[in-house]
Amino acid sequence: METPLTRWLCLGCGFSYDEALGLPEHGLPPGTRWADVPDDWVCPDCGTPKGQFEMVEMGYSEGGADLARIA
Amino acid sequence: MSKSFVLRAGERGHDVIYSDGSASSYVAGHPGSHISRESSFNFHQYQDGRPGFGTVRVFGDEVFNGAGCGYNMHPHHNFIICAFVLEGELTHINTAGRGMVDQLRQGDYYVFSAGSGGKHCELSISPENMNAIYLWLMPGQLYLPPSYHRAHFDIRTRRNRIVQLVGDADSALPVAQDLRVSRLVTDRAGRFTYTPRTPEHGVYVFVAEGGATVNGAVLARRDSMGITGAGALALDVPDSSDIFFVETAMLDDARIRAWEKAHGADLLD
Repeated sequence: METPLTRWLCLGCGFSYDEALGLPEHGLPPGTRWADVPDDWVCPDCGTPKGQFEMVEMGYSEGGADLARIA
Repeated sequence: MSKSFVLRAGERGHDVIYSDGSASSYVAGHPGSHISRESSFNFHQYQDGRPGFGTVRVFGDEVFNGAGCGYNMHPHHNFIICAFVLEGELTHINTAGRGMVDQLRQGDYYVFSAGSGGKHCELSISPENMNAIYLWLMPGQLYLPPSYHRAHFDIRTRRNRIVQLVGDADSALPVAQDLRVSRLVTDRAGRFTYTPRTPEHGVYVFVAEGGATVNGAVLARRDSMGITGAGALALDVPDSSDIFFVETAMLDDARIRAWEKAHGADLLD
Protein backbone atom coordinates (compact mmCIF):
# COMPACT_ATOMS: atom_id res chain seq x y z
CA MET A 1 0.00 0.00 0.00
CA GLU A 2 1.27 3.41 -0.86
CA THR A 3 2.25 5.68 2.01
CA PRO A 4 -0.25 8.53 2.40
CA LEU A 5 0.89 11.94 1.24
CA THR A 6 2.04 14.19 4.07
CA ARG A 7 2.04 17.89 4.94
CA TRP A 8 4.86 19.81 6.63
CA LEU A 9 4.94 23.13 8.46
CA CYS A 10 7.91 25.51 8.68
CA LEU A 11 8.63 26.26 12.34
CA GLY A 12 10.21 29.58 11.36
CA CYS A 13 7.17 31.15 9.73
CA GLY A 14 4.34 28.64 9.26
CA PHE A 15 4.77 28.08 5.50
CA SER A 16 3.35 24.67 4.62
CA TYR A 17 4.69 22.09 2.19
CA ASP A 18 2.14 19.64 0.87
CA GLU A 19 3.49 16.57 -0.95
CA ALA A 20 0.33 16.42 -3.06
CA LEU A 21 0.80 19.99 -4.31
CA GLY A 22 4.58 20.23 -4.41
CA LEU A 23 6.01 23.67 -5.21
CA PRO A 24 6.13 23.76 -9.02
CA GLU A 25 7.46 27.31 -9.11
CA HIS A 26 10.36 26.20 -6.93
CA GLY A 27 11.15 23.09 -8.99
CA LEU A 28 9.21 20.56 -6.91
CA PRO A 29 6.43 18.98 -8.99
CA PRO A 30 3.16 17.83 -7.37
CA GLY A 31 3.67 14.48 -5.66
CA THR A 32 7.25 15.20 -4.60
CA ARG A 33 7.81 13.33 -1.35
CA TRP A 34 9.32 15.23 1.57
CA ALA A 35 12.15 12.69 1.63
CA ASP A 36 12.95 13.62 -1.98
CA VAL A 37 13.13 17.35 -1.25
CA PRO A 38 16.89 18.15 -1.19
CA ASP A 39 18.49 18.31 2.27
CA ASP A 40 19.84 21.79 1.55
CA TRP A 41 16.41 23.10 0.55
CA VAL A 42 15.17 25.97 2.70
CA CYS A 43 11.77 27.56 3.28
CA PRO A 44 11.05 29.81 0.25
CA ASP A 45 9.48 32.44 2.54
CA CYS A 46 11.93 32.67 5.44
CA GLY A 47 15.02 30.55 4.74
CA THR A 48 14.49 28.10 7.59
CA PRO A 49 16.29 24.80 6.87
CA LYS A 50 14.36 21.66 5.91
CA GLY A 51 15.15 20.00 9.25
CA GLN A 52 13.09 22.67 11.04
CA PHE A 53 9.81 21.63 9.42
CA GLU A 54 7.31 19.58 11.37
CA MET A 55 4.93 17.04 9.87
CA VAL A 56 1.32 18.01 10.57
CA GLU A 57 -1.91 16.07 10.26
CA MET A 58 -4.22 18.95 9.47
CA GLY A 59 -6.95 19.58 6.95
CA TYR A 60 -7.35 22.71 4.86
CA SER A 61 -9.98 25.27 5.65
CA GLU A 62 -12.61 25.79 2.95
CA GLY A 63 -10.87 26.88 -0.24
CA GLY A 64 -7.49 26.64 1.49
CA ALA A 65 -6.04 23.97 -0.79
CA ASP A 66 -6.61 26.21 -3.83
CA LEU A 67 -4.81 29.06 -2.09
CA ALA A 68 -1.96 26.73 -1.10
CA ARG A 69 -1.54 25.75 -4.76
CA ILE A 70 -0.63 29.34 -5.64
CA ALA A 71 1.28 30.23 -2.44
CA MET B 1 -1.93 10.37 36.06
CA SER B 2 -0.41 13.77 36.54
CA LYS B 3 2.84 14.57 34.74
CA SER B 4 4.81 17.76 34.81
CA PHE B 5 8.05 19.54 34.09
CA VAL B 6 9.57 22.68 35.57
CA LEU B 7 11.58 25.04 33.40
CA ARG B 8 13.67 27.56 35.34
CA ALA B 9 14.12 31.08 33.97
CA GLY B 10 17.82 30.50 33.27
CA GLU B 11 17.24 27.19 31.50
CA ARG B 12 15.34 28.78 28.63
CA GLY B 13 16.95 29.15 25.23
CA HIS B 14 18.75 32.52 25.19
CA ASP B 15 19.72 34.53 22.17
CA VAL B 16 20.49 38.09 21.25
CA ILE B 17 19.95 39.21 17.67
CA TYR B 18 21.56 42.46 16.54
CA SER B 19 20.14 44.79 13.93
CA ASP B 20 23.42 44.91 12.04
CA GLY B 21 25.37 42.13 10.35
CA SER B 22 23.73 38.95 9.11
CA ALA B 23 20.34 39.61 10.73
CA SER B 24 20.05 43.21 9.47
CA SER B 25 17.21 42.45 7.06
CA TYR B 26 15.31 40.71 9.84
CA VAL B 27 15.91 42.96 12.86
CA ALA B 28 15.09 46.65 12.69
CA GLY B 29 16.92 49.51 14.38
CA HIS B 30 20.15 51.45 14.45
CA PRO B 31 23.42 49.54 14.89
CA GLY B 32 23.47 48.36 18.50
CA SER B 33 19.73 47.80 18.62
CA HIS B 34 19.04 44.22 19.51
CA ILE B 35 16.32 41.79 20.41
CA SER B 36 16.96 39.59 23.41
CA ARG B 37 14.84 36.49 23.53
CA GLU B 38 14.31 33.81 26.17
CA SER B 39 12.54 30.84 24.60
CA SER B 40 10.69 28.27 26.66
CA PHE B 41 9.98 26.24 23.54
CA ASN B 42 11.23 25.97 20.00
CA PHE B 43 12.45 29.03 18.21
CA HIS B 44 13.79 27.08 15.26
CA GLN B 45 17.58 27.07 15.21
CA TYR B 46 17.88 29.24 18.32
CA GLN B 47 16.64 26.82 20.94
CA ASP B 48 17.38 23.16 21.56
CA GLY B 49 15.10 22.47 24.53
CA ARG B 50 11.60 21.06 24.60
CA PRO B 51 10.19 21.71 21.11
CA GLY B 52 6.64 22.48 22.18
CA PHE B 53 3.76 21.82 24.51
CA GLY B 54 0.43 20.70 23.05
CA THR B 55 -0.43 23.20 20.32
CA VAL B 56 2.22 25.69 21.53
CA ARG B 57 5.36 25.89 19.38
CA VAL B 58 6.89 29.12 20.65
CA PHE B 59 6.74 30.78 24.03
CA GLY B 60 9.16 33.70 23.83
CA ASP B 61 9.96 36.35 26.43
CA GLU B 62 11.38 39.10 24.25
CA VAL B 63 12.86 42.55 24.78
CA PHE B 64 13.30 45.05 21.94
CA ASN B 65 16.28 47.16 23.03
CA GLY B 66 16.70 50.64 21.61
CA ALA B 67 14.35 53.02 19.80
CA GLY B 68 13.34 51.62 16.42
CA CYS B 69 14.18 48.04 17.34
CA GLY B 70 11.95 45.18 16.25
CA TYR B 71 11.20 42.86 13.38
CA ASN B 72 11.04 44.23 9.85
CA MET B 73 8.09 43.28 7.65
CA HIS B 74 8.09 39.50 7.19
CA PRO B 75 5.63 36.83 6.06
CA HIS B 76 3.77 34.14 7.97
CA HIS B 77 1.34 31.37 7.15
CA ASN B 78 -0.83 29.19 9.35
CA PHE B 79 0.63 29.98 12.77
CA ILE B 80 -1.53 31.79 15.28
CA ILE B 81 0.74 34.39 16.85
CA CYS B 82 -0.17 36.17 20.08
CA ALA B 83 1.70 38.94 21.86
CA PHE B 84 1.11 40.21 25.40
CA VAL B 85 2.84 43.51 26.10
CA LEU B 86 4.34 43.70 29.59
CA GLU B 87 6.36 46.93 29.30
CA GLY B 88 6.97 49.63 26.76
CA GLU B 89 5.05 50.09 23.54
CA LEU B 90 4.72 47.82 20.53
CA THR B 91 3.82 49.24 17.13
CA HIS B 92 2.37 46.45 15.05
CA ILE B 93 1.80 46.82 11.32
CA ASN B 94 -0.25 43.93 10.03
CA THR B 95 -1.76 43.01 6.64
CA ALA B 96 -4.66 40.87 7.94
CA GLY B 97 -8.03 42.03 6.61
CA ARG B 98 -7.60 45.52 5.18
CA GLY B 99 -4.41 45.92 7.16
CA MET B 100 -3.79 48.09 10.20
CA VAL B 101 -1.25 49.88 12.33
CA ASP B 102 -1.79 49.04 15.97
CA GLN B 103 -0.06 50.41 19.04
CA LEU B 104 -0.03 48.18 22.07
CA ARG B 105 0.96 49.25 25.55
CA GLN B 106 1.12 47.53 28.93
CA GLY B 107 -1.83 45.15 29.24
CA ASP B 108 -2.65 45.16 25.52
CA TYR B 109 -2.47 41.94 23.57
CA TYR B 110 -3.26 40.61 20.12
CA VAL B 111 -4.11 37.35 18.37
CA PHE B 112 -2.92 37.24 14.76
CA SER B 113 -3.96 34.16 12.80
CA ALA B 114 -1.74 34.15 9.70
CA GLY B 115 -3.79 31.46 7.93
CA SER B 116 -3.51 31.66 4.14
CA GLY B 117 -0.81 34.32 4.44
CA GLY B 118 -0.11 37.57 6.22
CA LYS B 119 2.79 39.93 6.78
CA HIS B 120 3.66 41.95 9.80
CA CYS B 121 6.23 44.29 11.23
CA GLU B 122 6.76 44.83 14.94
CA LEU B 123 8.64 47.82 16.30
CA SER B 124 9.41 49.60 19.54
CA ILE B 125 9.47 53.23 18.42
CA SER B 126 9.46 54.90 21.84
CA PRO B 127 12.67 55.44 23.83
CA GLU B 128 11.76 52.73 26.36
CA ASN B 129 12.53 49.09 25.76
CA MET B 130 9.57 46.86 24.94
CA ASN B 131 9.00 43.53 26.70
CA ALA B 132 6.34 41.13 25.44
CA ILE B 133 5.43 37.49 25.70
CA TYR B 134 5.07 35.84 22.28
CA LEU B 135 3.03 32.72 21.78
CA TRP B 136 2.93 30.74 18.51
CA LEU B 137 0.21 28.13 18.14
CA MET B 138 -0.50 25.41 15.65
CA PRO B 139 -3.83 26.21 13.97
CA GLY B 140 -6.76 23.80 13.81
CA GLN B 141 -6.72 23.92 10.00
CA LEU B 142 -4.34 25.05 7.28
CA TYR B 143 -4.95 28.21 5.27
CA LEU B 144 -7.67 29.77 7.38
CA PRO B 145 -8.70 33.32 6.42
CA PRO B 146 -6.15 35.64 8.11
CA SER B 147 -7.51 37.51 11.12
CA TYR B 148 -6.35 40.02 13.71
CA HIS B 149 -7.96 40.74 17.07
CA ARG B 150 -6.68 42.83 19.92
CA ALA B 151 -7.82 43.70 23.44
CA HIS B 152 -6.70 45.23 26.70
CA PHE B 153 -6.23 43.54 30.04
CA ASP B 154 -6.97 46.19 32.66
CA ILE B 155 -4.56 45.45 35.47
CA ARG B 156 -6.22 47.95 37.82
CA THR B 157 -9.71 46.48 37.77
CA ARG B 158 -9.01 42.81 37.26
CA ARG B 159 -6.67 42.00 40.10
CA ASN B 160 -6.73 38.91 42.28
CA ARG B 161 -8.69 36.69 39.93
CA ILE B 162 -7.85 34.52 36.96
CA VAL B 163 -9.06 36.24 33.80
CA GLN B 164 -9.28 34.50 30.44
CA LEU B 165 -7.69 36.61 27.69
CA VAL B 166 -7.87 34.25 24.72
CA GLY B 167 -10.36 31.41 24.26
CA ASP B 168 -14.08 30.86 24.57
CA ALA B 169 -15.01 32.92 27.66
CA ASP B 170 -17.01 36.15 27.60
CA SER B 171 -14.89 38.93 26.07
CA ALA B 172 -11.90 36.66 25.45
CA LEU B 173 -10.31 37.01 22.02
CA PRO B 174 -11.36 34.11 19.77
CA VAL B 175 -8.85 31.55 18.57
CA ALA B 176 -9.27 28.73 16.04
CA GLN B 177 -7.73 26.19 18.37
CA ASP B 178 -8.55 24.20 21.51
CA LEU B 179 -6.71 26.67 23.67
CA ARG B 180 -7.13 29.24 26.42
CA VAL B 181 -4.76 31.89 27.73
CA SER B 182 -5.50 33.36 31.15
CA ARG B 183 -3.73 35.79 33.42
CA LEU B 184 -3.64 36.42 37.15
CA VAL B 185 -2.30 39.67 38.60
CA THR B 186 -2.23 39.92 42.40
CA ASP B 187 -1.70 42.72 44.87
CA ARG B 188 -2.27 40.50 47.88
CA ALA B 189 -1.26 36.96 48.69
CA GLY B 190 -3.86 34.30 48.07
CA ARG B 191 -4.76 30.78 47.06
CA PHE B 192 -6.18 30.26 43.59
CA THR B 193 -7.43 27.30 41.61
CA TYR B 194 -7.01 26.86 37.87
CA THR B 195 -9.29 24.23 36.39
CA PRO B 196 -8.69 23.16 32.79
CA ARG B 197 -11.57 22.09 30.57
CA THR B 198 -10.56 18.43 31.01
CA PRO B 199 -7.75 16.68 32.89
CA GLU B 200 -6.32 15.72 29.48
CA HIS B 201 -5.66 19.34 28.63
CA GLY B 202 -2.16 20.52 29.44
CA VAL B 203 -1.52 23.74 31.33
CA TYR B 204 1.66 25.76 30.96
CA VAL B 205 2.09 28.18 33.87
CA PHE B 206 4.54 31.07 33.43
CA VAL B 207 5.46 33.49 36.22
CA ALA B 208 6.02 36.88 34.60
CA GLU B 209 6.46 38.66 37.96
CA GLY B 210 6.55 37.58 41.60
CA GLY B 211 6.22 33.88 42.20
CA ALA B 212 3.84 30.98 42.69
CA THR B 213 3.69 27.56 44.28
CA VAL B 214 1.81 25.32 41.85
CA ASN B 215 0.77 21.87 43.09
CA GLY B 216 3.76 22.02 45.43
CA ALA B 217 6.32 23.21 42.86
CA VAL B 218 7.91 26.52 43.81
CA LEU B 219 8.29 28.89 40.85
CA ALA B 220 10.19 32.19 40.91
CA ARG B 221 10.10 35.08 38.44
CA ARG B 222 10.14 33.84 34.82
CA ASP B 223 10.15 30.19 35.90
CA SER B 224 7.47 28.04 34.34
CA MET B 225 5.87 24.64 34.51
CA GLY B 226 3.88 22.35 32.26
CA ILE B 227 1.32 19.96 33.73
CA THR B 228 -0.95 17.34 32.19
CA GLY B 229 -3.48 15.02 33.75
CA ALA B 230 -3.66 16.97 36.98
CA GLY B 231 -7.21 18.29 36.91
CA ALA B 232 -7.46 21.45 39.00
CA LEU B 233 -4.19 23.23 39.86
CA ALA B 234 -3.76 24.69 43.34
CA LEU B 235 -1.72 27.88 43.41
CA ASP B 236 -0.35 29.82 46.34
CA VAL B 237 0.59 33.23 45.05
CA PRO B 238 2.34 36.05 46.92
CA ASP B 239 1.34 39.68 46.41
CA SER B 240 2.58 41.58 43.34
CA SER B 241 2.62 38.56 41.08
CA ASP B 242 1.72 38.26 37.41
CA ILE B 243 1.06 34.77 36.11
CA PHE B 244 0.08 33.45 32.67
CA PHE B 245 -1.76 30.17 32.07
CA VAL B 246 -1.78 28.54 28.65
CA GLU B 247 -4.23 25.67 28.51
CA THR B 248 -3.99 23.50 25.41
CA ALA B 249 -5.12 20.25 23.87
CA MET B 250 -2.19 17.83 24.01
CA LEU B 251 -1.34 16.73 20.47
CA ASP B 252 0.46 13.45 20.01
CA ASP B 253 3.39 15.04 18.28
CA ALA B 254 6.29 12.95 16.93
CA ARG B 255 8.79 15.76 17.33
CA ILE B 256 7.95 16.42 20.98
CA ARG B 257 7.78 12.70 21.70
CA ALA B 258 11.26 12.17 20.21
CA TRP B 259 12.67 15.01 22.30
CA GLU B 260 11.11 13.62 25.47
CA LYS B 261 12.50 10.17 24.75
CA ALA B 262 15.99 11.57 24.20
CA HIS B 263 15.80 13.56 27.45
CA GLY B 264 14.22 10.98 29.72
CA ALA B 265 11.02 13.01 30.06
CA ASP B 266 7.68 11.35 29.55
CA LEU B 267 4.99 13.98 29.62
CA LEU B 268 3.03 12.36 26.81
CA ASP B 269 3.51 8.64 27.47
